[in-house]
Amino acid sequence: MRKRAGVSFYIFLSLFIFVIMFPFLWVFLTSIKPPIEIFAGFNWFTTNPTLQSYINAIDTRPLFLYMWNSIAVSTLTTVIAISVASLAAYAVTRLPIKFKGTILGIVLAAAMFPQIAIISPIFNLIQSLGLRNSYMGLVIPYITISLPLAIWILATFFKKIPFELEESAKLDGATPFQTFRKIIFPLAAPGVFTTAILVFIAAWNEYLFALTINSDDNWRTVPVGLSMYQSQYTIPWGDITAATVLVTIPIVVVVLLFQRRIVAGLTSGSVKE
Amino acid sequence: MGDKKKGFQLSETQLGYLMVLPALILIAAVTLWPVAQSFWNSMFDYRLNDPTRNQTTLSYQIDLETYANNYFYIDRDLEAIENEAADTELEETVAQLRQEIETYHDQLVTLPEIEEQYEIVDEMVMNFEPVNDRDLRYGSLDNDFAEGYISLLEDGQDELLDAIGDHDEEMESALSAGAASLTSLDRSLIRPNFIGLQNYGKYLTDARMWSAMWNTVFFTVVSVFFELTIGLAVALIINRAFIGRGAVRAAVLIPWAIPTAVSAMMWNYLYDGQSGVVAHYFEQLGLISDASVLLSTGSGAMFSIILADVWKTMPYMALLLLAGLQTIPESLYEAAEVDGANRIQRFINITLPMLKSAILVALLFRTLDAFRVFDLIYVLTGGGPANSTESISVYAYQVLFAQSNFGEGSVLSVIVFLSVALISIIFIKLIGSDLFEGKTGK
Repeated sequence: MRKRAGVSFYIFLSLFIFVIMFPFLWVFLTSIKPPIEIFAGFNWFTTNPTLQSYINAIDTRPLFLYMWNSIAVSTLTTVIAISVASLAAYAVTRLPIKFKGTILGIVLAAAMFPQIAIISPIFNLIQSLGLRNSYMGLVIPYITISLPLAIWILATFFKKIPFELEESAKLDGATPFQTFRKIIFPLAAPGVFTTAILVFIAAWNEYLFALTINSDDNWRTVPVGLSMYQSQYTIPWGDITAATVLVTIPIVVVVLLFQRRIVAGLTSGSVKE
Repeated sequence: MGDKKKGFQLSETQLGYLMVLPALILIAAVTLWPVAQSFWNSMFDYRLNDPTRNQTTLSYQIDLETYANNYFYIDRDLEAIENEAADTELEETVAQLRQEIETYHDQLVTLPEIEEQYEIVDEMVMNFEPVNDRDLRYGSLDNDFAEGYISLLEDGQDELLDAIGDHDEEMESALSAGAASLTSLDRSLIRPNFIGLQNYGKYLTDARMWSAMWNTVFFTVVSVFFELTIGLAVALIINRAFIGRGAVRAAVLIPWAIPTAVSAMMWNYLYDGQSGVVAHYFEQLGLISDASVLLSTGSGAMFSIILADVWKTMPYMALLLLAGLQTIPESLYEAAEVDGANRIQRFINITLPMLKSAILVALLFRTLDAFRVFDLIYVLTGGGPANSTESISVYAYQVLFAQSNFGEGSVLSVIVFLSVALISIIFIKLIGSDLFEGKTGK
């Protein structure tokens, strides 16, 4: 590192973090204000902090049910995507098959597909399978988002594992499947885990499919459920800010715990090493 | 994998294809096939909320329940006219019409593919039972037969309606009752809803489509531009050793990680004309004339959406570019310094070329993401005020699901798809094979 950090640098840094964090900060400060104060002015801090907005947020809408739905859908999506994608990524990076470029091209093309271009046929499909308002009704379309993403990132991680290990396992008489399970998979586990986090976040954040397919309030996921807090006539900012804080906490925890891995996964696709 | 080309090698290759297969099948089933269907659907007059058009068909069909129901009245109504108009020219015309309809009817109910089905449905109609089974209720008809029958019914209607003018009241009501039964019978014969490129013609001349397209392009170009330039500037500044990297990383990742719909709700609050703090401070600083400007005017709303998008994505962009910056060897800068290159020259001649592929890949994914923007706009402004922030995806969603028009909506879906394909092709040409580097293995 050639530059050293001076005072002005830290001032800049603090400003940068403040600007980025300001919306969260303000939303949090609003959520603990008594509801009357929210509409009364722009004081930063309230003198009577209260949890009333949190109670309202949970009472008016089944927020915890939304979170449970999101957890179920995202977990199922992640498990399916990772198991299918790790096989494919392994074959593309490490086995002597043809058309590797074509296969990755298809994967990349699928990753770029706009969801709006497939929503109506997917809607018909889910409808005819009788899967509207169910977890599988969302897991199936989420494959379109998660599978290409998972293959793309896993391929980078699998490529980094030294080929020598595989060769020596082969000499010892291991079948390719054994090599994959006993040698590659343990070594690739950190990469697989990173990919799983990214796939999970992608599934957690999806909006369009969740909005159209699971329209029953009991099957809504967090993003859709939260966007339904605004009614046509009044906007209960207290409830909304409290609900926002509640649904953001799990994400903040995940980010704080796994930030290094997330950054490694995000940059793996775009930076040559 | 060495030089061993024996049985082992073969099975390994086969295994390889086997391992790729599930992924390819899934991708084909949930992306390629639906896109093909969107293309197909876009060529039909296909509406979910209209029972006669809620499927795509290339041939004539018949709604047997409606048919059986209405055929029952035809005879009665036409006979009533004949009785009214005894010994006139009209009597003869109507008698002939009745005769012809009967001929067609007899032919219809003895068609081998319809006969049995019709008997069951007719029985049910007589017993006032609803026919809920789609397969039972609808039958397909030969195109020539259906067209002949339809033109007979339509001509019959015209004749009866034309005759209305010259008769008394009683006759008039008999005639219109007859015409109405003919219309109902006619409705039970469902036309194929294939309309070719007609939907495209409609949307390519649709002002709302072009304004949505313009909004999308404007949003994409402006927000990606600011995300890239600010992101690059931030990356350059923080590319050094400092205390608190973890805090910066977390601060940068959290906006990226939260759902766009959630951040749209947050910004919706911050921009609000009455209680929004951002709107309030902007007004105090004199940036806007009134706090309500941000969400209630077209340009204010577009600015708001772009700002929210830049806030969410710029840090992520900075992170990607920072990772790229850190792979540039220090020795290059040292050598340039020895040669007397100044800061700007070093940036232009070393940093930018070395970052090129990282920038292009980041740009590709960001551009595509921005172009298909849906949730940010849908939640923050709903496309308003007065469609001034409506993106093409939001418009497509409205036509597909608010109007239940899968035919016309699919046209907009296809337009988004083709635009995205075009953008990807341009970028991939620019990036070249770098995109796959480090992935395909030996």
